[in-house]
Amino acid sequence: MPPIIETHDLRKVFRTVRRRPGALGALRTLFSREYEERVAVSRVTMAIEPGELVGYIGPNGAGKSTTIKMLTGILVPTSGDVTVAGVVPYAARGRNARNIGVVFGQRSQLYWDLPLVESFELLRAIYAIPRDRYRRNLDAFVDLLAMADFLQTPVRQLSLGQRMRGDFAAAMLHDPKIVYLDEPTIGLDVVAKEAIRTFIARINSERGTTIVLTTHDLADVERLCRRIILIDRGAIIYDGDVERIKNEYGRFRTLVVHFAQPVAQPQLEGAELVCVEGSTARLRFDRTRERAERLIRQASERYALEDVSIEEPDLESIIRRIYIEGYDSFPEEAST
Amino acid sequence: MLAAYAQYWRINVLTLLEYRANFIMWFAFTIVYHAVALGALYVTMRQFPSMNGWTFREMFFLYALWMTGHELHNTFFFQVVSVPDFVREGRFDRFLVRPLDALFQVLIVPQQLIPDGLVLALATLGVALAVAGLHVTALLLLVLALVVCGGALIDLGISLTIATLSFWFVRVDTLRWAVMSLEQDFTRYPISIYARGVRLVLAFVLPFAFMNYFPATFLLAKQETGLGLNPAVGLLTPAIGVAWAGVAYAFWQVGLRRYQGTGS
Repeated sequence: MPPIIETHDLRKVFRTVRRRPGALGALRTLFSREYEERVAVSRVTMAIEPGELVGYIGPNGAGKSTTIKMLTGILVPTSGDVTVAGVVPYAARGRNARNIGVVFGQRSQLYWDLPLVESFELLRAIYAIPRDRYRRNLDAFVDLLAMADFLQTPVRQLSLGQRMRGDFAAAMLHDPKIVYLDEPTIGLDVVAKEAIRTFIARINSERGTTIVLTTHDLADVERLCRRIILIDRGAIIYDGDVERIKNEYGRFRTLVVHFAQPVAQPQLEGAELVCVEGSTARLRFDRTRERAERLIRQASERYALEDVSIEEPDLESIIRRIYIEGYDSFPEEAST
Repeated sequence: MLAAYAQYWRINVLTLLEYRANFIMWFAFTIVYHAVALGALYVTMRQFPSMNGWTFREMFFLYALWMTGHELHNTFFFQVVSVPDFVREGRFDRFLVRPLDALFQVLIVPQQLIPDGLVLALATLGVALAVAGLHVTALLLLVLALVVCGGALIDLGISLTIATLSFWFVRVDTLRWAVMSLEQDFTRYPISIYARGVRLVLAFVLPFAFMNYFPATFLLAKQETGLGLNPAVGLLTPAIGVAWAGVAYAFWQVGLRRYQGTGS
């Protein structure tokens, strides 16, 4: 099967009028023809297969939203190609719109003053969803997202978690082949986050919906995605398995040792002390050079131990290092 | 598309029932607003039995004609004024990822509205016909209907043009207020009382004169158009409305392309 989302050398340059400082400057700005160019996205090439659930991540201002806006047809690329389900999004906005669903975590599409179900009714009419299909989807979503209790409540009275569930249903009533989720768990508590994540996973596995997830919460990605695309300063710096990036770029493990008595400066060969808190010490080691089992044996020979555990680096700490140090600064592999 | 439009009106009525107090206050405000305007006109006209050959009765008709076109616009195109807010708050993107025309989607954002102002305006127009002593025929009603629709389209052209400017400028409120108050002030009296420059603006730049003054001149069989034109230009209102709204829609398309280029 051909990829459902395909971009080639996608590039977006924003041209803004150069602003001048001061009141006189503001006046001159009004008539100025001087522009500043800012490259938001460049050389973005990707192919996403039908049914994939991909995490599209990067720091603020990296170009995530710009890419998503080009994929959804909101923005016209400066150059490059983009096809989504066989349609060029900006050229055939209407046709593209029927194939996609979009959840903007920070901007609800529900109508504030109306009972939740009325927003769904209006969307049914906007997308011209046949009544029986609408009924079937609505029932399924009400069930999956436990919305029965607040279907008749005005949206402004809903909690953020309830509203977000409503937004998910709203984005999927028309059976989109592709769903873009932009920060879908932002501001949610842990329970609500988990409910949303479970829903995303089920939609992906049961309906085969292709999902592109943009998020700052890497726990979302860790829980949901097998593949991530990492973007920084407008360019893709990694595209591949979550596991691989964790294995290759997360060489360091943390050994957490709880001593029977506080130890001021515990020393272990092959590990580096990170910190000591009371009778607990954290030591970092490179798993390619040192085996955990040897370290534990060493520790138990030297000190009286209560408990030992090993922490694996989470995706967040790995990605944080990539953001700060750059992808290329990692020792094992220079690029993909 | 039709289903969406029907749904929109159903929701308007539903929310209206939920927020009844708001509706009653709004309706009361509309009545008071127009009553005050007409009252002021009456007081003024007690001082001058006629203004450039126009009596109070004729000016009542002038007002009612503007009011009906204006309220028709407010009933069907009111949400156009929200476009700058949608753009500024980033809500406009949503219209571009749904399968209907973006402007149409703007028009069907529920807003707790029923055609109360329009009903009031039609009643006022009915009274004004009697007050002005116009002989009601089928032909007159047809002309009135066309003039009122043309008037609504002139209003739409103006509100859409201002809304479209928000694709370039973040805030257009001031411009909107300025144009709105110009419209209210300059549609109240025959334009012949103003300086020639103002008359030209009202006829050809912001063609408010076509909403009421020119058609009223024709229907009341007045000779003076204030610009030396044949009074029959009053019959051009529907054409002016269509052209004006058409140009505004073309401008909207340009703005939309810009929005898709810059996303701001």
